[in-house]
Amino acid sequence: MSRYLGLFVAEASEHLEALGRDLVALEGTPDGETVDSLFRHAHSVKGMAASMGLEPIAQLAHRVEDLVDVARRNPGALGRERVDLLLTAADAMLALVRATGEGNAPAPQPELLGRLGEAVIALTGEAPRPTKVARVEALLPPVAPLDPGRYEIRFRILPAAQSPGPRAFLVYKKLAGLGTVTSLRPPLEDLRAGAIPDGRVALVLETDGGLEPVRSALGLVPEVELISAERVADEAPPEPPSAASPSAEPARTVRVRTELLDDFLEMAGELLHATARLRDIGRRFPEHERPALDEGVDRLHALVKDLHGKVMGARMTPVAVVTDQLPRAARDLARKRGKDVEVTVAGAEIEIDRAILDAIAEPLLHILRNAVDHGIEEPEGRAAAGKPARGRLRIAVRRTRERVVLEVDDDGRGMDPERLRAAAVARGKLSAESAARLSPREALLLACLPGVSTATDVDDVSGRGVGMDAVKRSVESLGGALELDSQPGRGTRVTLRLPLTVAVVQLLLVRAGGEVLGLPITKVLGAVELPDSALQRSPSADLLSYGQALVPAHDLARLLELPDVRAPGTRPWVVMESEEGTVALGVEALLGQEEAVLKALSRPLDRVSGLAGVTILGNGRPVFILDVPRLLA
Amino acid sequence: MPKRVLIVDDAVFMRNMIRDIFSSGGYEVVGEAAHGIEAIEKYRALKPDLTTMDIVMPYKSGIEATREIVKGDPRAVVVICSALGQESLVMEAIEAGAADFIVKPFRAEDVLAVVKKVLGEKPKV
Repeated sequence: MSRYLGLFVAEASEHLEALGRDLVALEGTPDGETVDSLFRHAHSVKGMAASMGLEPIAQLAHRVEDLVDVARRNPGALGRERVDLLLTAADAMLALVRATGEGNAPAPQPELLGRLGEAVIALTGEAPRPTKVARVEALLPPVAPLDPGRYEIRFRILPAAQSPGPRAFLVYKKLAGLGTVTSLRPPLEDLRAGAIPDGRVALVLETDGGLEPVRSALGLVPEVELISAERVADEAPPEPPSAASPSAEPARTVRVRTELLDDFLEMAGELLHATARLRDIGRRFPEHERPALDEGVDRLHALVKDLHGKVMGARMTPVAVVTDQLPRAARDLARKRGKDVEVTVAGAEIEIDRAILDAIAEPLLHILRNAVDHGIEEPEGRAAAGKPARGRLRIAVRRTRERVVLEVDDDGRGMDPERLRAAAVARGKLSAESAARLSPREALLLACLPGVSTATDVDDVSGRGVGMDAVKRSVESLGGALELDSQPGRGTRVTLRLPLTVAVVQLLLVRAGGEVLGLPITKVLGAVELPDSALQRSPSADLLSYGQALVPAHDLARLLELPDVRAPGTRPWVVMESEEGTVALGVEALLGQEEAVLKALSRPLDRVSGLAGVTILGNGRPVFILDVPRLLA
Repeated sequence: MPKRVLIVDDAVFMRNMIRDIFSSGGYEVVGEAAHGIEAIEKYRALKPDLTTMDIVMPYKSGIEATREIVKGDPRAVVVICSALGQESLVMEAIEAGAADFIVKPFRAEDVLAVVKKVLGEKPKV
């Protein structure tokens, strides 16, 4: 029964708040609708409380229901005084419901119950009937449990921790393994997301083992500091009720304009920049003055990051917002073309940043149009190919690693890379040599270039204007990727790999050709200082010995066609992993790490190969972030 | 007796780097594995005191391998090697039974500090 407690508290509170509002409205103009609504709320609370075995609440609700029932028959009957009494009863019930949510058994209310009973007798001439309540055991924790040992444990994730979320989660898991965690602040969801103000975590652990295992478990975890671990009174909630009660309230929602969320994100990003700038300035202070400043900046950084995370969270929107309209769109389109299509969507509940969702709505519709138009055959064609008359389109959304993958499959005629190559050459889109150099997958991407379509007819539904190349470009401008797979006669799959959020990236700042440039730190394996003469020359590339491997080495300034301005001698080499394997990039200097909000490039910069985005540093300076694999391609 | 370490990573480069770090810290690297299946086999054969585990690997991920290793030996100490930005995978690995994690790109002293702590060794003064 106790697993329903949260739901009961949330729902009963809503009913009781509504009951209070209705009572106030009743004083103004007592219309039948308000009275009906009042009755329903009282009735619902009575039913819920009775099923939960909460007699004091159920009894009060029952009397309220009796009185409201009188008003149902005679709207003016209650009078101001009795409305006051009902309001008092509503408030009392709300307090009892909340107390229940905090683990306290609701106390009987004989005096209030008596006054309500008198009112019922005065108005109906009948004594109120007894309230039936379910006999429920073990709803609340037993008053004197077998010495469970409750401990309040406070710990702190040190500011130097690189991944505070996993770090805190690890501690939580270790402690949860010792007993039952009954209260956790911040809540688990925030903990996992690394939204931990000041790195501080508090929880209450019920355990039979005492504090010793707690201390030794925490002693084995790096980057964590135990602040306090104390036995707490068995029944005392860990916090005064005033602070605990918000968690007992149901989650409320409010609509917010998307632009406002964009502004919030922009501002949270600016705050991150400003914090980085403060940290920069702090480095110029004398050594002995720095700890206090650093501590302040660390705290500010943690708070701003927390804020940024929350804003990101608020922007997350289920993919359903876009995919819900697709079955209908496909159906209408298919009908127009004399085809029959069934669309299924899986994983529409998966959430993605609103800005990304908005940007893929149009491309997704285009992919769907292509599938209906060029992929799915006419019913006769399908019958001839031994397929069911109704074509199938499957949209599947899933999360992998840090991405959302969206697949659109059709069971249509598929695409033939050879025919596409031939068509592209025949229409003068590219030379025979270039066409021959394309891989089968690349050749598939020719399919939707205007004029290359292999469909036997020209139509007005798709294939004009926005080609698959434009779809590909819009996906890539979001930091995503588009792939095409197809088997002639069997069908086509379009895969969109999308970033989950507008990303915050950790950058390694380097100087090359006199410019400051950012390299995504997740791809950096390490750095070495070597003179160019230490490189091993081979016909295809220079090689740098790193660890026990030889790694292709490139001069970053030369790759970017920037002037060679470096002094001779040793220089730093940044070793990075890329999809092509490990590479080393020669730079003029390593300038440090910075956290930055990645901004997509707009035209014409988005056409420059090798740039992943741009960001503004703490000092206000724009810095390009390099896309190393594409730079080398 | 030095503690015995098994290194699991699909990149030779990373294995060499981690091997060097452990050797410099006075540990004995008793084996290496390039993917999850090999990791489970080597773990059973070698029973190391500590296993470092990459997450994204062919055949079987580090998360699956961790789950199976810890299932077979609840006292196994598996330390996940992750990259920044892989937080959710790290948490999956913790759910699967990993004892701790280190974040790439890492410095030798950070790795050794984590390992010492996880193995309950006193830090060198």
